[in-house]
Amino acid sequence: MLSKIRNFCIIAHIDHGKSTLADRLLEFTKTIEKRDMRAQVLDTMDLERERGITIKAQAIRMEYNGYVLNLIDTPGHVDFSYEVSRSLAACEGALLLVDATQGIEAQTLANYHLALHSNLTIIPIINKIDLPGAEVEMAKNELVHTLGFRADEILLASAKEGRGIAEIIDAVIARVPPPQGDPDAPLQALIFDSHYDSFRGVIVYLRIVNGTLNKGDKIRLMGTGKEFEALEIGTLRLDLIPRDTLAAGEVGYLIGNIKNIADAHVGDTVTRTKSPAPAALPGYQPIKPMVFCGFYPINGEDYELLKESIEKLQLNDAALFYEPETSTALGFGYRCGFLGLLHLEITQQRLTREFNIGLIATTPNVVYQVNLTNKKVLLIDNPTKLPDLSQIESIEEPYLKVSIFTPADYVGAVMTLANDKRGTFLNLEYLDPKRAVITYELPLAEVIIEFHDLLKSVTRGYASMDYEQVGYRTSDLVKLDILINQEPVDALSFIVHRDRAYYYGKKMTERLVKEIPQHQFSVPVQAAIGGKIIARETIKAKRKDVLAKCYGGDITRKRKLLEKQKEGKKKMKLIGRVEIPQEAFLAVLRLDQ
Amino acid sequence: MTALYVHIPFCKRKCNYCDFVSYAGKEALIDAYVNALVRELGTKELGTGGPETIFFGGGTPTLLEPRHFEQIIKTVAAVFRPPSRNGDLKVAATSEITIEANPGTADKAKLKALRALGINRLSIGVQSFNDRHLTMLGRVHDSATAKRFYQDARAAGFENINLDLIFALPGQTLAEWKADLRQALELDPEHLSVYNLQIEEGTPFAGKFTKADEEVELAMYEAAIDTLTAAGYKHYEISNFAKPGRECQHNLVYWRNGNYLGVGAGAHSHVNGQRWSNPNCLEEYLSRVASHELRVSDPETRDPRPETIFLGLRLLDGLAQEHFNGFEREVKELIADGLLTADGSNYKLTRKGLYLGNLVFAKFV
Repeated sequence: MLSKIRNFCIIAHIDHGKSTLADRLLEFTKTIEKRDMRAQVLDTMDLERERGITIKAQAIRMEYNGYVLNLIDTPGHVDFSYEVSRSLAACEGALLLVDATQGIEAQTLANYHLALHSNLTIIPIINKIDLPGAEVEMAKNELVHTLGFRADEILLASAKEGRGIAEIIDAVIARVPPPQGDPDAPLQALIFDSHYDSFRGVIVYLRIVNGTLNKGDKIRLMGTGKEFEALEIGTLRLDLIPRDTLAAGEVGYLIGNIKNIADAHVGDTVTRTKSPAPAALPGYQPIKPMVFCGFYPINGEDYELLKESIEKLQLNDAALFYEPETSTALGFGYRCGFLGLLHLEITQQRLTREFNIGLIATTPNVVYQVNLTNKKVLLIDNPTKLPDLSQIESIEEPYLKVSIFTPADYVGAVMTLANDKRGTFLNLEYLDPKRAVITYELPLAEVIIEFHDLLKSVTRGYASMDYEQVGYRTSDLVKLDILINQEPVDALSFIVHRDRAYYYGKKMTERLVKEIPQHQFSVPVQAAIGGKIIARETIKAKRKDVLAKCYGGDITRKRKLLEKQKEGKKKMKLIGRVEIPQEAFLAVLRLDQ
Repeated sequence: MTALYVHIPFCKRKCNYCDFVSYAGKEALIDAYVNALVRELGTKELGTGGPETIFFGGGTPTLLEPRHFEQIIKTVAAVFRPPSRNGDLKVAATSEITIEANPGTADKAKLKALRALGINRLSIGVQSFNDRHLTMLGRVHDSATAKRFYQDARAAGFENINLDLIFALPGQTLAEWKADLRQALELDPEHLSVYNLQIEEGTPFAGKFTKADEEVELAMYEAAIDTLTAAGYKHYEISNFAKPGRECQHNLVYWRNGNYLGVGAGAHSHVNGQRWSNPNCLEEYLSRVASHELRVSDPETRDPRPETIFLGLRLLDGLAQEHFNGFEREVKELIADGLLTADGSNYKLTRKGLYLGNLVFAKFV
């Protein structure tokens, strides 16, 4: 039976048409009737639809001409590269989708390398050939010259118009090798995704690599050591289809009364308690948040709601780290850790939208390694925890190797930007006369603060980037404090390179003056390093604000206006006597806007 | 009923800053409209005693003929009085009947006829004495016309006249505004309303101009207060000044959160704690009155205290402290911030509070 199974995924840069192609494959194989199609079935969260990215992977089983085709979806953002690698590890083949109007982009290449690394058979497809701006030859050339495909391997498609779909299915069957694996060996099943269902607990998506999983088996997760019972197993259509066994090569789900998603982490290996596999599958990594920020309710009374909401989100997001913290300025809240800035933003939006919490997110920061004079080492995920300067020997910060794909015209602009952000140049390579890849080492802290937006803006949106972590480097870092109305606001403190401190201090005070509304008194906004003021701006006092006219016909309207004014105040945090809007706490992310 | 407001939604042209319910070029509907007003008034159960004040507001009420006002006032007299005593044109209990007018929209004879109907207060929309500013505002008159109109009104027997002025016009200088104030004082009206221009959404001004600089607005407002109080006017409401005893009795009803009935398109009412309004659209108003289906907005009953406070504090004498029960914390903060002060048994705005009235008012809604 193994010979009739094909496990594959689609990899592509954002917006190159991955979800649309998935929809067409489901339609073509009659997995879903056209009338049941919601556009882009595989993206279930509204946020995903809005941002055009797939956040959580899922899988679906298609049947066609006696073959079982398991399509495993992959997250499409660099924040989730570990999750991508685990989804790829569950496949034997990948459809590499390239937008005919864009050509190869940073994530095309990153995903291509991940797929190669997983030994997948890669089928190159040029998509969107129907668009007026399509440059099929250009895209073909890039695939041939940059990635080394043969011209005759490349398929052409328009997922939107349903062109080329039959050829893609045929290629999957003909080119992707069937899974290997021994159904009689001890069980090794790779968890490539999991999600929390409020009725059924955690649903684990897995690929059986070796052995056979039976309903009722006692199982062990080899990474976490937790044990459960396989209460229900089965295959994935749009719904869960229960089965009694899943054998090597198959893709399916498992429900085992698992209450906490952190117990079924992506990349972990499921085995049987009785006669377990001698070793776990390779590639498992525990979650390591890269970016941290504080979440605080605007209204102190919402603290419990925030707590419950983060707990609920975490049920479905094992990568979300949180622990309580207290801020002098903001009161009780949570320090949260994320895989990247996108993960942070999505979490923040979900808390605001789904749980309706007025939320303040503080400036994101990375984890610093502080080497103390007493030879101890501290890991700092919150600038306010930085010890007194006299106790610090040195500070190290995480660095990334960043690859930036850009049209050749913008090479200069990109390099200026990267140099501005404390980058170290590594390499410049031309893919063709028109396009280049520039490689830099950059501090993660600089990348999470507006780097991506600036990159888009200096290249008119044409550049794309990808990165990998390369470890910690010593930097001359200082903590920049912000004082509003003479009071230090801890939530606005952040760590910067000493050479950039004046620049950031000045920009921050200028920005805050724009973000904080006028009060009836003037409000000084200062930036300081270790008590020394390095920048100062003043928010002028509000001098006149009064409705000129109020007669019989105006009263209801004016009352509503005043209520709105008061509502606006509720969305602000009162620090001392100064009302500070939510946006101000992210001012550092918008310094150049 | 304490006060009656009658809305007249007709204008020769719509001013560039105006967002009131008024229509230009629909004068053909005036007769039908007055009939509808009379009909609407007839449906009201107003009790006896008559309103203490009547206010014909607009729009430009002086676009109507004296006979129209006669018809309306007669109806008011009838609905407020027992039938047997019907027929007296004057409403005996009514001490103040105001009509709004725009310069040049009535001649001496028409003004005289209006005065003869018992209308004893005239509110003239002068807005500015600067012809360049009047053009920018989209007014139908120039400065000379306004002055002539004022003299005609005096000659016609109006002894209680208000002038409306607007300041903080786009590009207006403080000197220009002071010149407007001086020319207004030369006319020696009983009452002056001076309004800071508000740029309202949906008006031609909205797309074209932004609010004047706060410091400019403040300087102009201070100039108005200083000039007018020096000239013997009492600054009795945020935007209103009157010679002793000449405060507008009708508007005082609004600021004291009293009862008033509004009739006509877009008119608002507040009776015994309920607020409602008529449809804004002229044609809709007409057809609904004609078909006896004048459905007003659903009456809203809400905690009256916020309105009592934010309206009452508009008056410079302030409002009795008892109205602030339950707002002790807010009052304390505002006093500490120098925005509110106790005065006898009242709380009132300080001078600073006057400039920052919205910050004060917003505390109580």
